[in-house]
Amino acid sequence: MTDRTGAVYDLGYEPYEGERNGRSGARRTVVADGLRRVLGLRRKGRRKVLPWALLLVAVAPAVVAVGASFLLPTGGSDQIEIVTANAGFFLLGGTIALLFASLAAPELLIPDRSDGVLSMLASRPLTPGDYVAAKFASIAAIVFAFLLVPQITLYVGEAGTHSQGLFAGFVDGADKLPKILLVAGVYTIAYVPLAFVIAALTKRKAVASSIFIALSLGLAGIGETIVRETNFAAARWIALLSPIDDANAVNLWVFDEHGEENLLDYADIHPLFGLLSLVVLGIACVFFVYRRYRRIM
Amino acid sequence: MADTSFTASAIGHAYGKVAALHSLDFTVPRGRTGLVGANGAGKSTLIKVLLGILEPTVGTSTVLGMDSRRESIDIRSNVGYMPEGPCLPLDQTAADFLVYAAGTAGLPREAARQRASDVLTLVGLDEERFRYLGNFSTGMKQRAKLAQAIVHDPDLVFLDEPTSGLDPSGREEMLDLISRLGTFGIDVVVSSHVLRDIERTCDWVVMLDAGTLVHAGPVGGELEEDTLRVEYASDPSAIASDLTAAGARVTADGNKVVVSFAAGNVYDLVRDVTVRHDGTLRRLSGSASSLEELFILHGEAP
Repeated sequence: MTDRTGAVYDLGYEPYEGERNGRSGARRTVVADGLRRVLGLRRKGRRKVLPWALLLVAVAPAVVAVGASFLLPTGGSDQIEIVTANAGFFLLGGTIALLFASLAAPELLIPDRSDGVLSMLASRPLTPGDYVAAKFASIAAIVFAFLLVPQITLYVGEAGTHSQGLFAGFVDGADKLPKILLVAGVYTIAYVPLAFVIAALTKRKAVASSIFIALSLGLAGIGETIVRETNFAAARWIALLSPIDDANAVNLWVFDEHGEENLLDYADIHPLFGLLSLVVLGIACVFFVYRRYRRIM
Repeated sequence: MADTSFTASAIGHAYGKVAALHSLDFTVPRGRTGLVGANGAGKSTLIKVLLGILEPTVGTSTVLGMDSRRESIDIRSNVGYMPEGPCLPLDQTAADFLVYAAGTAGLPREAARQRASDVLTLVGLDEERFRYLGNFSTGMKQRAKLAQAIVHDPDLVFLDEPTSGLDPSGREEMLDLISRLGTFGIDVVVSSHVLRDIERTCDWVVMLDAGTLVHAGPVGGELEEDTLRVEYASDPSAIASDLTAAGARVTADGNKVVVSFAAGNVYDLVRDVTVRHDGTLRRLSGSASSLEELFILHGEAP
C-alpha cells in the first residue's frame, strides 16, 4: 500500500472584494487597450510591422541629421541648422503621420464592430460618449507622440552638440518646445478626426485607410487646382478645406517660415484661419462619430 | 442588497413603430431565472432595457434594486452580460481579452489579471489562455463569452442563449457551469428558447410571447395542476360564465376554454358546470406537465 500524503483541493470560486474604479477605470482601460492595439502590442507579429516601420521611417531622418551634426566638425553652426529644420521635419513627419493615422483609426474602431465587441462593452459602465472619447484619446495621443518623436530626437541632438554641454543645450533649445508641441497638436487635429470619422463609417480597414488618404490628398489637390488656377477671388477660401495645407501653413507660420509654395500663403489667408478650420472640422467629425455610436452601441 | 433580482412595471419598448415589448409587469426574486420565448419574443430587448442599453418607451424597471434608466452605469458595474452573438476580439489571446473585459468593468489592472486567470480556470480554458480567440472552437468561444461575463464578479449575470451552437456534450458542460454560478452567489438570468435548459438550470421563469408576458413564476410551481384545457362541441359562453362565477379564471377562444381554479378541484368544477349546461366535451387535457407544455398552453390561449 502506498503512503500518499497529497490532496486535491477544489479552489472553487473566489469572490472579488477589492477596489472597483467604475466608469473612469473603464475609460482608462479602453484608452490603454487602444494604444496597444494601434502599436500591435500583445498581438501577432505581423500586426506590429506597419506601425513600427512607419515610426522608424519618421525618426530615421532626424537620427541621420543628429548623427551628421555630431560628425561634421563645424561646431555651433550645426546647432542652428538643426533648430531651423523643425518646420521641414514637421512637413516630412506630417506626411508619414498621415499614413500612420490612416492605419491607426481603422485598427481602433473597426474590429470592435466587426467582432461584436461593442455588445460586450455596451454592458460595461461605459456610455457611448465614454467609448468614443476614450478611442479618440488613444489615437490622438499616439499620433501626437508619433509626430513628437522625431522632434524630440532633434531637440536632444541639438543639446548634445551644444558647445557648453548637454544641459546648456537643453536650456537653449527649450524655447522651441512649446512651438513643437503646438505644431504636433495641429497636425494631430488635422489628421485624426477625419481618419476617425471615416473608420466609424467603414466596415473594412483597408477601405477606410484608402478613403482617408484619397480624401486628404484629393482635398489638397482640389485646393491647389482651384486656388492657383482660377482668378475668382472667393475661390481662395477653398484652400481651407484641405487639412494638409491648413496644418502645413500653421507649421510654417509658427516656425516663422513663409513662401508662396504654401497654399494658404498663396491664397493670402492667415494661418490662424487654417487652425480655426481644423478645429471646426475636428469637432464636427468627433460629434458625428459620437452620434453614430449612440445609435449602434 | 435588494431582495429582487429585477422588476418590470408596465414596461414597453418599440423600435420605431414596431412594438417589441408590451407593458410587462413582473418581479423576479434572487436566484436563477429563465427568460423564455420563441425567437423574436423580446427576450434580448428586455435584457437591454434592464441593463439600460435601450431606453424603455414606457414604464420603469429595476435591477438589483437600481433604476434601469437613472442608474444604468451602477447596474452595469454590478452585472455581467453574455450576448447571443459574437463579442470576442479574434486577434487577442483569451487571457488578454479577459484582462481587458475585467478592466472595462472597472477592476484595477493587477486585480484584472488575477481574476482573468481564476475565471479561465473556472470555465475550463486555463490551458488555452495564450491561444488567440480567433482559433477557438465554438464551444471554447461560448466559454470565453461566459468568462467575460463573470470576470468582474458580478452580482447578477445575463446569459443570452448560452448553449447556442454547442454540441450535446458542450451543452451539458455549459449547463453545468451555469448551475454552478448560483452556488458562487451570482444570480443568473438565462435567456433561451430551449425550455429544457431552463427547467434544468433555473428555479424561476419569465415567459414572453411576441413581447407580452405569458407567465412569471417559480419553475415547477407554474406547472399548474389547477389548470385545464377544454374544447367543447358547441359555443361554451354560458359554461365559461358559470365557471367564472364559481371563482375560476377562464379564457375562451371559440370553442376552447382554459380554466384555472385554485380554490378547489378544477376537474370537479368543470365536470359539474358542463353537466349543468348539458355541454358536450370534444377534448379535455390536464395542466402542462413541463415548461414546454405550459408555454404551448399559454401560447394557444388568447
